Amino acid sequence: MAIKTIVRASKRSAPVTGQRVGRKPWGAIFIFIAPAMIYYTIFVLYPLAATFYYSLHKIAPLGGKLVTTFVGLQNFTEIFKDEIFFRAAGNTLLWGGVGPAVEMVVAIALAMLVYFHVPLHRFYRVAWFTPILVSGVIVGLVFRWIFNFDWGIVNAGLRAIGLDQFALNWLGRRDTPIWIVIFVHFWSTFGYSFVLMLAGLSAIPGELLEAAYIDGASKLQAIWSVLLPLLKPTAVTVLILSFMGKMHAFHVVWVLTNGGPIHFSETVATYVQKRAFGWNTFDLGYPSAISVVWFGLTVIGVGLISRWLKARAEG
Amino acid sequence: MSSTPTVLKREFRFSVWSRTIRISLLTVVLLIFTLMVIVPFIWMILMSVRTSGEILVDPYGLPKVIRWQNYYKLFFDPQIRFYQYFINSIFVTFFAVLLCIALSTLAGYGFGRKRYNFKYRGWIFAVLLFALMLPHQILYIPQFTMMAHYGLINTRWSLVLLYAALGLPVSTYLMSTYFSQLPSEIEDAALIDGCSDLSMFWNVMLPLARPAVATVILTNSLGFWNELLLSLTMVTKPEMRTLPSAMMMFVGEHGSDYAMAATSLVAAMLPILILYLLLSDKFIEGMTAGALKG
Repeated sequence: MAIKTIVRASKRSAPVTGQRVGRKPWGAIFIFIAPAMIYYTIFVLYPLAATFYYSLHKIAPLGGKLVTTFVGLQNFTEIFKDEIFFRAAGNTLLWGGVGPAVEMVVAIALAMLVYFHVPLHRFYRVAWFTPILVSGVIVGLVFRWIFNFDWGIVNAGLRAIGLDQFALNWLGRRDTPIWIVIFVHFWSTFGYSFVLMLAGLSAIPGELLEAAYIDGASKLQAIWSVLLPLLKPTAVTVLILSFMGKMHAFHVVWVLTNGGPIHFSETVATYVQKRAFGWNTFDLGYPSAISVVWFGLTVIGVGLISRWLKARAEG
Repeated sequence: MSSTPTVLKREFRFSVWSRTIRISLLTVVLLIFTLMVIVPFIWMILMSVRTSGEILVDPYGLPKVIRWQNYYKLFFDPQIRFYQYFINSIFVTFFAVLLCIALSTLAGYGFGRKRYNFKYRGWIFAVLLFALMLPHQILYIPQFTMMAHYGLINTRWSLVLLYAALGLPVSTYLMSTYFSQLPSEIEDAALIDGCSDLSMFWNVMLPLARPAVATVILTNSLGFWNELLLSLTMVTKPEMRTLPSAMMMFVGEHGSDYAMAATSLVAAMLPILILYLLLSDKFIEGMTAGALKG
C-alpha cells in the first residue's frame, strides 16, 4: 500500500474533535493499543532498524556466536561490483515493469466483462480468483511439470499440433525462464487484481452510467469516458500493489527455477535468501545491504508510479 | 410510413442475431481462458488418483479406476509422515491467528473509536501501517538472529510469533475500520449503564464486530498456511517443517513418484479450496477490503 494511502487512512481514523465528555480513559487506551504496538516494535520495528545496522557490518558466526564487525559502507560498494546482483536486479525490474502492466490491462478487461454480466459471470469470478489461494510452492511445483521438456502439458500440446520446433526446454534455457516466471506469477496473481478492479467498478454509482446512456453514449463510449476515468484511483492502487508484489516475490521463483539456470532467472528476493542462508557464505551483513538498497529502490519505484499517474490524471 | 416498423423490427432481429454470435464467441474465449486457469488443478487431482506407472505411460489420461491409496499412503505411511507437516501447519496457523486476532482486535478498537483518540494517535497508527510497505526480505535476517538468540530456531513457536507480527498491521487496519463505523450511541448507552471500557469492548463491541473478525481470520489463515520464506529460514529440522517447505523437500525427494507428489499437493491445497468453495464471497470480500478501503 502506498504511503499516501497510509497517511490518508491514519488521518481519517484520527479526527480532530474537541471531546470534553469526562476524563480521557488513558488506562483503557493503554490496554487497547499498547500490546499491539509493543509486539510490533519487537518483531517489526526492531528488525527493520537492525537490517540497517547489519548493512554496515560483517556478521559471521564464530564458535557458535555471531560476531559483528563494523565495515562502514563496504557492503554497499561491494554491491556495485556484484554481477549476479545486477542480473537479479535487471530481471526483477523487467518483471516489475512488464508484470503489473499486463496484469492491469487483463484485470480491467476481465472486470469490465464481469461487471456487464456476461453469461457465466458468477462462475468466472470464483474460478479466476482460485489461483491466488494456492501457495506459491504448489504453483511452482505444478508449473515445473507443465513446462517440463519431455512430457509437460505445454510441449505435449505443441507437439500434438505439429509445432515440434517450438517445444523448447522452457526452464533450462538462458532466455525463456524469466518469462516463464513472469507468466506463472501472472497466472497466480491476476485474479487478485481482477477482483480489486471489480470492487472498484462496483463502487461507481450506477446512475452515472445510466446518465451516459441517456445522453446517447454507446457502451464502449460509456466505458471509455465514464467508467475508466472513475476507475483510476483503484487502478493506481492495483498497479502499486502488483508492482510491490513483483519486486518482492519469492515463492514462485524459488520453487519454479530457483533462480537458475546459472542465475538467468535470479531475482533480488531469491538472491538475498541465497546469500544469507544458502551459500554458506556465513555473512548476514551483505544480504542486509542488498535488502536496504532494494527497499529504497522499491519505495522510489512506487513514488514514481504514483507521481506519473497523478501527473497524467491532472494533465 | 407503414414500412418503418418492419425495418425497425428487422434491424432489431439482426442485432439480436449478431449479439448472440458475439456473446457465444466471447463465451468460448472466456471458457478457454478459464480452462487455462483451472487446468493445473484438474490435472493434479487426476494424477493424484492414479498410480505412477499409469502416469508415466500417459501423463494426461483419465483415471480408469479411481485409486485412493495414494492418499492413504500419504497420511499413514510412517516413512512419509505427511500428517506431521499437516499438524505443524495447523498448529502454526491456529496459534498465529489467535495471537494476531487478540492483538489486532484490541488495537483496532483503540485506534478506531473516537472515544480513545489522543494527540499522537494518528501518527502511531501511521507507524503501524507503514509495515504494509515492508517486504519480508528487509525484516527476516534480524528476525532470524533474534530467534537464534532466544533458542527458538527449529520450533513452531518461532513461526507463530513471526506470522502474528506479519498479519498484525493489516488486521489492525481492518478491525479499526470496522469499529470506527459502529454507531457511538451504543457506546454512550453502555457507558450510562456503568459499563467499563473493557467490558464494553468484550461484551458489546466485539460481538458486533464478528464479521470483521471472520474476515481477518480467513485472510490470515490463508497467508500463514501458504507462507514459505520464513518457514524455510526459521525451521530446518524436517519434523518441524510446515506444509509449504515440507512439500518442496518431499517433491524433491520423491521426484519420480509423480502420483505421490501430486497427491501431496492436492492434500495441501484441499483445506483452503474447500473453505473457499463454501465461503468464496467472504474470501473475496476480505481480501479486497484491506487493499481498497484506504
